[in-house]
Amino acid sequence: MQIELGEKAVTSQRRLSDRESRVRLMKRKLYDRIARWVVAGGGFTIIASILAILLFILMEIAPLFRPAEVTEVNRSTVTALFTDTPEIGADIVALSIDENREVACLLSAGGVVQFISLKTWQLLESHLLPEIRGQKITSVWQSFKSDRFVLGTDHGLAVQLHIGYNARFFEGQRSYRPAINSGSTWPVAPSNERLTDVAFSGDPEESMIIAGISDKGRVHIFQQTKEASLFGEAEVDSAHYQLEQIWTGKPAAVAIDGTMRNLYMGSTDGKIYHWLLSPAAAPEFVTTTKAVSGDGGGITDLQFLLGGRTLIAADSNGGIGAWFLVRDSIGPAGWRLTKIRDLQTHVGSVVKLAPSARGKGFISADADGNLFLHHSTSGRFLAEFSTGAGIPVKALSFAPKANGALTLAADGKLTHWNVDNPHPEASVKSFFGKVWYEGYEEPEYVWQSTGGTDEFEPKLSLVPLLFGSLKGTLYALVIAVPLAIFGALFTSQFMHPGLRNKIKPTVEIMAALPSVVLGFLGGLWLAPRIEIIIPALLLMAVVLPLLTLLVSALWKALPGRYRSNVRPGVESLVLVPVLLFGIWLSLQLNGFMETMLFAGDFRVWLYEQAGMSFDQRNALVVGLVMGFAIIPLIYTISEDAFSNVPGNLVSGSLALGATRWQTALKVVVPTAAAGIFSAVMIGLGRAVGETMIVLMATGNTPIMDWNIFNGFRTLSANIAVEIPEAPLGGTLYRVLFLAAMLLFVITFVVNTAAELVRQRLRRQFQKL
Amino acid sequence: MTNVKQPIWETKEMINGMAKEQSIAGKKRPGLSAQGVSTLAQANAEQPALKTENWFFSYGQDWAIKDITLEVPTKQVTAFIGPSGCGKSTLLRCFNRLNDLIAGARFQGQIYAEGTNIYDRDLDVTDLRKRIGMVFQKSNPFPKSIYENVAYGPRISGIKKSGDLDEIVERSLRQAALWDEVKDRLDSTALGLSGGQQQRLCIARTIAVEPQVVLMDEPCSALDPIASAKIEELILELKKDYTIVIVTHNMQQAARVSDLTAYLWLGQLIEFNKTGLIFTNPKEKLTEDYISGRFG
Repeated sequence: MQIELGEKAVTSQRRLSDRESRVRLMKRKLYDRIARWVVAGGGFTIIASILAILLFILMEIAPLFRPAEVTEVNRSTVTALFTDTPEIGADIVALSIDENREVACLLSAGGVVQFISLKTWQLLESHLLPEIRGQKITSVWQSFKSDRFVLGTDHGLAVQLHIGYNARFFEGQRSYRPAINSGSTWPVAPSNERLTDVAFSGDPEESMIIAGISDKGRVHIFQQTKEASLFGEAEVDSAHYQLEQIWTGKPAAVAIDGTMRNLYMGSTDGKIYHWLLSPAAAPEFVTTTKAVSGDGGGITDLQFLLGGRTLIAADSNGGIGAWFLVRDSIGPAGWRLTKIRDLQTHVGSVVKLAPSARGKGFISADADGNLFLHHSTSGRFLAEFSTGAGIPVKALSFAPKANGALTLAADGKLTHWNVDNPHPEASVKSFFGKVWYEGYEEPEYVWQSTGGTDEFEPKLSLVPLLFGSLKGTLYALVIAVPLAIFGALFTSQFMHPGLRNKIKPTVEIMAALPSVVLGFLGGLWLAPRIEIIIPALLLMAVVLPLLTLLVSALWKALPGRYRSNVRPGVESLVLVPVLLFGIWLSLQLNGFMETMLFAGDFRVWLYEQAGMSFDQRNALVVGLVMGFAIIPLIYTISEDAFSNVPGNLVSGSLALGATRWQTALKVVVPTAAAGIFSAVMIGLGRAVGETMIVLMATGNTPIMDWNIFNGFRTLSANIAVEIPEAPLGGTLYRVLFLAAMLLFVITFVVNTAAELVRQRLRRQFQKL
Repeated sequence: MTNVKQPIWETKEMINGMAKEQSIAGKKRPGLSAQGVSTLAQANAEQPALKTENWFFSYGQDWAIKDITLEVPTKQVTAFIGPSGCGKSTLLRCFNRLNDLIAGARFQGQIYAEGTNIYDRDLDVTDLRKRIGMVFQKSNPFPKSIYENVAYGPRISGIKKSGDLDEIVERSLRQAALWDEVKDRLDSTALGLSGGQQQRLCIARTIAVEPQVVLMDEPCSALDPIASAKIEELILELKKDYTIVIVTHNMQQAARVSDLTAYLWLGQLIEFNKTGLIFTNPKEKLTEDYISGRFG
């Protein structure tokens, strides 16, 4: 009877719930599905946004490594341009282009200056240089912007020429009133000598030097010095020198540097000769260097890059080298012309070099009509273009904004090029390798992104910044890791639970302090104080551990009946006054220590004894402040790791008669090792990415020096410092993104490593 | 006491208070001799292995152990039985002062190990725990090798010579009937052993420090019948050398392995007698109800 009832009850319940249960099941499935989609959607959104950030950064970086693009805008021929005067078209010797690349200037050997429109190839204006009358221009020196010329004639004269394009706006239209300005002529060589190359440096109104090579194989120097007398009347002196023929081969090219103190001459047998110039005395020969590798090659052109320090020497074997003076104690002048790097070699002889007016780039042209775009600092070969196979390049001009070029081939083909070359100074080597910069004695890692002048050579090595990040992180970890881990071990294993419940949240609140506040405190409050108590700090490192040991020994010696009156886990509070006393004592002894050990001034002593400089905002301050910032992070994670060690392991160890210290060290620490490792790694990740503290508490000097009393600059602080100076889309802007990418990669790798190790060890201890 | 999180130092004050109370009452605590320091090594072998006198223990609020007085004889197996929450494990943990770790614990009364008051303030707890070892309900080998698990106790007691350690490890593992199963893999992790093997390893680890008493807190509750049988065999074997106190839920186990059985109920000792008598002829109605399965 009972059984029957039971069955009936079961069946009726089943029948009753049949439809309902299906509805319920569907509902549950629906909810389950919704929940799954929401959770999965959230997860995917996070991954997608991280990937999107990564993609964005990569897109900002990518243009850095793209080669330059040189494309033809349009072309014409001199025969088409000069149908009426073919003789002018046939002997064009120099080209110039205006900064908007709308008007060009063609200079013929007969002294005719023709302005043409680059859009329509129509003649705009024509001028005749009166100074050239009856002569022929046989050589040309032109300034970086191709607006100033010094023309050498077949009568040994040098003629000054200045071109003005005079662009003006009227009702949204740009029009040009080109004008020329000439007049000064200087007798550089005797009138029966033809000048085959001229070089110029200085200012025609002030002091200047002109060097010229004549067809007789002589090198002439014309020097003009202007000295303002006390009464405002200027006195102009000029001098003429003919260099002693010490060279072998024939002089082929001359160049004078920006300081007007060094003259270089390249010969047809491949040597560069160096003379020192001085305003009052005759040129003094210094030395000669073989500049062409291989036999039979001769120098074809010498040109200074913007800034007048790097000399580019091109030769008939197609080789191009970058040279500059490097300090040399052995050499006669204290400086020695040194080959810094080789640039992309041409197959044929290099005939012309055109330096850029923006940075350390230049174009080289060879006898086969090939043109290469180079950058000296990065050593990059950026682009290649051709005016026509087998036809030599006759004249070449690099646009003032380095965004275009005008070439004239020997067959009269005139081509206007567009040069898209946004980041010539960027290369893997210039970011991560040692680069030999102008004025440096050897290749170095340097970060110096901007300078005061246009002639500045940007130094974009990320290595000092990586070093800074590492240094800051290391010093912060050195201070934070022992404090945080031992603190966590103490709180979790020894401290009384009541106290632990208060201490842990307190330490966690430390993490809530904004890093800008910490940085501010570190840089403005702590740094000046630390500076004067270095001897006391050193003393503390000795006194505090000794005092701790002493008190512990005394405590142990105390009979148990007194000890047991103190709550277990709070006995360490006894240390607080002792340590405070130790700190006070060390501070009191600061002056005494400084006098006794450091001859009265620690900073002077440090410099004299160890050769180490002392910055007020140094790695020690950063270590302390950033250590303070990452202590809560490491502390919390490792405290959790210690507390998560199964209680039965601790009991098991204690039940074997182990002391709490033995238990902590031999059971708790090994078991929690994974957690501690990930705590340190996460702390490291935080320290690497930390910005405000290092920004405010270091001097932000990008130097590579482990000295704890020196500052440094980290990748993150560098981004913060330089962003205001980085124009959107510029090289610096993209390099800062590259720095961001590096930071991203470092933290990603560190955190992933931490997570992997943690999971591996967790699996290992899962059975506990 | 209403505060659950009553910290442990209260116990100390309580002891002081109690000592005063007791002295007012004219009772003198035998353990607190005038000399103060007393060690277990000096203890008289004639004394019972463990003895409690009017023992009260609390985790903070109510007494979990109420007024228990009993004597555990040397080199015999004493079993504590009783329903869940009756205080048998608590009492066991009082014997090696593992309850010290719990915040808010307090106590009243005395426990003697071979005549020494183990709650004496001058007593070295680590020394006590070396003398009174413990095996836990859930096997808890350290995440180290089998060898290191057994050698852990001797090592922390200061034995460093590897020859001595090898000898102790082998002897302990043989005594725990584990040697033949693990002798070829002493260096592999203890976590790779089966549950029964792990528990026997914990027993080996406990006896490696040569305690006088081995406390076992439901050592077989997480094991299958075959593994349990091995542990029971082992207990009977160990009885020759050690005093064993075992807490068990399993009355058949108590009947099989113990010489004496104590029945606890709601923190009180209801009955304590020879095992045979408890299971065949209990004096108390409560005992009879429990062993006949009417509750528990």
